[in-house]
Order: sequence, then structure tokens, then C-alpha cells
Amino acid sequence: MKLLVIEDEIQLAQSIISYLSGENYTCEYAGTYQQALAKIEMFEYECILLDIMLPGGDGMRLLEEIKKRDREEGIIIISAKDSYEDKIQGLQTGADDYLAKPFHLPELSARVYSIIRRRKFNNANVVRQNELTINLLSKTVLVNTTPVLLTKKEFDLLLYFIGNKNKVISKNALAEHLSGDIAGMLDDHNFIYAHIKNLKKKLGEAGCANYLKTIYATGYRWEV
Amino acid sequence: MNKLLNKSMKAFVLYAGIVLACSIPAYYAIIDFIWKHELKEHNRIVSATTWQNLQALSLSDKELAESVALWNKLHPETQLQPAAALRPDSTYNIYRKNKYIPAKGWDRFQGLVTYFTVNGKILRLTQETNIEESYETIIAIGGITFIFFLILLGGFIFINRRISKQLWLPFYNTLERIASFDLHKQNAIRFENSGTEEFDMLHRCLEKLIAGNVAAYKQQKEFTHNASHELQTPLSIVKFKLDLLHQSKPITDEQSGLINEAHQSLSKVTRINKNLLLLAKIENSQFSVKESVSLSALLENQLSLLEDFLEDKQLQVQKYIAPAIILPGNKVLAEVMLTNLIMNAVRHSRPQDVLMLSLGEHQLEISNTGAAPLNREMLFRRFGSSSPNTTGTGLGLAIVRQICHLHGWRESYRFKNGFHVFTIAWS
Repeated sequence: MKLLVIEDEIQLAQSIISYLSGENYTCEYAGTYQQALAKIEMFEYECILLDIMLPGGDGMRLLEEIKKRDREEGIIIISAKDSYEDKIQGLQTGADDYLAKPFHLPELSARVYSIIRRRKFNNANVVRQNELTINLLSKTVLVNTTPVLLTKKEFDLLLYFIGNKNKVISKNALAEHLSGDIAGMLDDHNFIYAHIKNLKKKLGEAGCANYLKTIYATGYRWEV
Repeated sequence: MNKLLNKSMKAFVLYAGIVLACSIPAYYAIIDFIWKHELKEHNRIVSATTWQNLQALSLSDKELAESVALWNKLHPETQLQPAAALRPDSTYNIYRKNKYIPAKGWDRFQGLVTYFTVNGKILRLTQETNIEESYETIIAIGGITFIFFLILLGGFIFINRRISKQLWLPFYNTLERIASFDLHKQNAIRFENSGTEEFDMLHRCLEKLIAGNVAAYKQQKEFTHNASHELQTPLSIVKFKLDLLHQSKPITDEQSGLINEAHQSLSKVTRINKNLLLLAKIENSQFSVKESVSLSALLENQLSLLEDFLEDKQLQVQKYIAPAIILPGNKVLAEVMLTNLIMNAVRHSRPQDVLMLSLGEHQLEISNTGAAPLNREMLFRRFGSSSPNTTGTGLGLAIVRQICHLHGWRESYRFKNGFHVFTIAWS
């Protein structure tokens, strides 16, 4: 699947590309408004990551240009601006998601994953992995034919892991995913253990293999 | 406190009092001198006339002696007596008891003794005239002076009031404007032209001073805003690189732990940065406070969002939330305020402590168990209560204060019955 990273800061773009390339994505890069426009005109992408503060033109205008073409691609705005108004404006102009810098790469990966799924399969798609079946729309999980009742947060975590297969996810990233900035306000992230423990237990009881590995008590990895 | 005008008036009144008091002996001396001079003149005229008249009568010695005797009987205030020799005239001033009307007390007399010869006989004429008594003169002058002093005093007070109302009016206007000036609100002061040189000069100096302050304040805010903004990218880079580093294989226990610790500190820097940016935005009035915010709903919502943290610490939450408390304000900021207050309480609680929330019609109270009162002065200041060993940014309560300031709410802290109580009040 092809992704376009439109970002003027080369270091950020490199990191994003490096992380996402391991996930079956082919990433292309555009550093300016003109480059981005040229790429959009020439190729089609599954998902576009757009920094709205670009040299040589306003990223919002670029967003309008992309939307004009009326294609299938998902658009995620990545921006240093994190005000409520900026988010609303971005989403109203047609972006599918808005991520304020700085964020964790697994967070980006999870969002790219779910946006591509949503776009490609018209909102009614099912993720299958061996015995595990996840319905993204109805938010239900089956192990073989046994339904697993997950809480909203457990379901969120499961999707997060699926979107970051074989990657080490730090506790910090998980805490920020579940609670945003608030997570950082506390010294420990014990509440993460509780949710992970419950998720593992519920999947295990339904007969699912143990894909979720704990990495030295500081992170987790969904191994397939 | 003394008003400026009263100070100058005191000096004027004191000066007027001294001058008027000094004038009393001066007036007395002059009046007494005139009295004495005129009465001396009068006595001399009477004496000279008496002498001339006696000579003009051309009396015989016998007739003269009879006339003198008769004179002395009829004119008690004068004495005409034979003398041994001619002497120069002399004057005297004497107090005597009033023989005729004793109730009048003492009378003062100005006397003139003259010598002259009639028919070759030397006669001495003592001529006395009643003169105003010294003490009566002094009382009269003193009284009049006092009355004038009172008139002056009244005049001073009256003029002073008028001056303070008219002359100092621009000054008080200026004072009022300076008092109502708020650096945070950015509305520049315009002083009207008063037409008085000193006031206009004061206005020019004040305008210069205020403009300088506003510029410095603006620069500082912009600096915070820009610095925070510029930090976002390097922070992102560090975060991304750490995430990538976590993927390296093989990774050891120690490396993973190091990455985690780096993430934690990075997360603190990120939050400090975000909070500084938020403060700068609030100070730049980038938030409208005209939405209607349902605090009741927001608080319930925040509590459910923070459920994880409350459960994690097994806090006993006692809440009373009055329904439908709706205030004009900014929803995003109100949310931030509630989060900061609740998380502040959660962070400083030990497991199984009590957390009390009460939302009433006029105030919100959030209390948590505590051991000793906190420093009220430092609590709401930026970095006033931060410490390097906690995850707190030291900005949470400063943001609460700024949000309250923006909305016109009042934030306060008190320590009561073993509880830290944070109160937000509105009217």
C-alpha cells in the first residue's frame, strides 16, 4: 500500500517512513507544496500524511486540492498546531484524522491502519488474523466462533496492537493513546496493566493464542 | 492618609494663624500710641485754653484764689493748685478705681501736668482724660482677629474644595485610568488633553511608560508562544527516534528501560511546552468566553474520562454535582480547568484517600486528603510548586488561575480539617 508523507522537516519524515515501511507500506516523500502537488497529480495513494505548515504554500490549500480530486485516499493531518479550532477546520475541510505533534509513531501507525481499512472497505470491514476476527464497524471480536466481550478501551488497545504488528509499543505510548495528555500527569501507568491483563485474559479464555508479549516490563509487542 | 491638598492647606492655615496672632500686639501698640498721642494733644489744648482764659479774666488775687478753689470743686478730673516753681510739662498714665460707678472697676487715665503763671503766681494744672483700658483694647483686637481668622479658614476650605474639584480633576481622571489599566487585557490608555502643562507632561510620561510595558509584555508573550512552537519539532524528532530505537533488535532489558525513562521525561517536557503555549494563548485572548458551558455535564464527563486514574489509586470519590449549572465561558478551557484540578488532587493523594467534589450554584469545590497546609502564595504561580521528581509540570494551577482570570471567576485554596480545598467561585 502506498503512502505519501508531506512534511518539511526531513528528520520527521525519515522517522515516519522508517517506522511505517516495516508495515507493508511503501512510503513516498514530499518536502514542499509544489513537490506534494506534483506527486498527487501523478500517483494515487492509500493514505496521505499532511503537515499543514509547509514552506511554499499553505497545507490547508493542499488539502483542498487533494479533496478536489475526489479519490479514495485517507488524509491524516500532522501538525504542530493543536488548538481545537485548527482540528475542527482540518476535519471540516476533509481530513480523516488530525494528529498534533509530538505524537508516538505507533499512534500514527494505528491511525493509518484504521483509516485505510475504513476507506478501502467502505466502513464495513473485518480484520482476520488466524483464529481472530475483528469487525471494525460493529466493534465485535470473535475467536473462531466464540464472541469475546471487550470494553471500549480493551477494543481500542487490540486495534492499536493490530495496527502495529511486531512492533514494540512502549507503555508511555499506550497510556497516551488511552488518555492523551492526562496520562503524563501521573508517575505510574498501572491502569495500562489492568486493561492489558483483562484483554489477554478474555482472549485467552476464548481460545486465542497469546500474541501479546510483554517486553521487559516496559513495553508490549503483538507478535504474528 | 492625608490628601495632597490638605497638606498644603495645613501650611497655609498655620501661616495665616501666626501672622494674625502677631498682628494683635502690633495693632494694640499702634492704637494705644494713637490714643495716647491724641489725648496728650487734647490735654494740652485744654490746659492752654484754661491758662489763656484765666489770664483773659484779669482776676484779682482774691478772686483768683476763689476761682481756683471753685475750679477744683467742679472739675474733679483736673486739679489747679499753686506750685513752688515752674517746671517742664510732664505726662503720666494711670489706672484708677471708678469712684462713681464701682461696678465698672478700673479706669485708665492719660494725664498732663502743666505749670503756668497767672498774676505772678505759679499754678500747676493737672489735666486727666479717660482713655480706653489696655486689656479692653487687646480683647477687642483679639476678638476681631479671631473672627477674621475664622473667615480665612472658611475661605481656605471653600477654595480648597473648588480647587480639588476643578484644578485637580484631570489628575484624578488620570489616576482612575491608571487604576483600571490591566496589562493582560491589552487595551491601551489614551489620556485626554488637560490644558495644564504639568498634567500633559505627566500624561506623556505615563503613555511612554505604559507603551514600553505593553511592548515588553507582548514581546515576552510572543517569545513564549514562538519558543513553544519551535520546540514542537525537535520534541517530535526525539520522540520518533525513541520509538524507532525501541524497535531495534536485539534489545536488552536495560535499553528498553532507558528508552522508557527517556519517554517519561520527554513526555513531561512536552506537557510543559503545551501548557506554556496554552498560557500564552489564554493571555493573548485567543479564546472566546461567550459559549454557554454546562459545568455539571462537563464535570460528569471528566470524571468518567478520569475513571482509570481514580480506580487505579482506589480513591473514595464523594461527589455532589448540582444539575444544570450553566455558565458563560469557554468549553475547552473549562475542561482543561476541571482536568487540572481533579488530576492535581489525584496526583497528590495516596491510595484509598478521599476525594470530594462539590458543584453548587455559586462555586465548585475539590478537596483531597492532605497532611499539612500548602504555601498559598506559591500555589497558583508558574512553576511555584514544581519539583524535579514529580511528573507535575508546575503549570497546572497557573493555568487554572489564568482561566479563572479570563472568565472573571475567583480561585482559592484553603486547608481545612485535613483536606486541601480548592474552590472556584463565580457570582
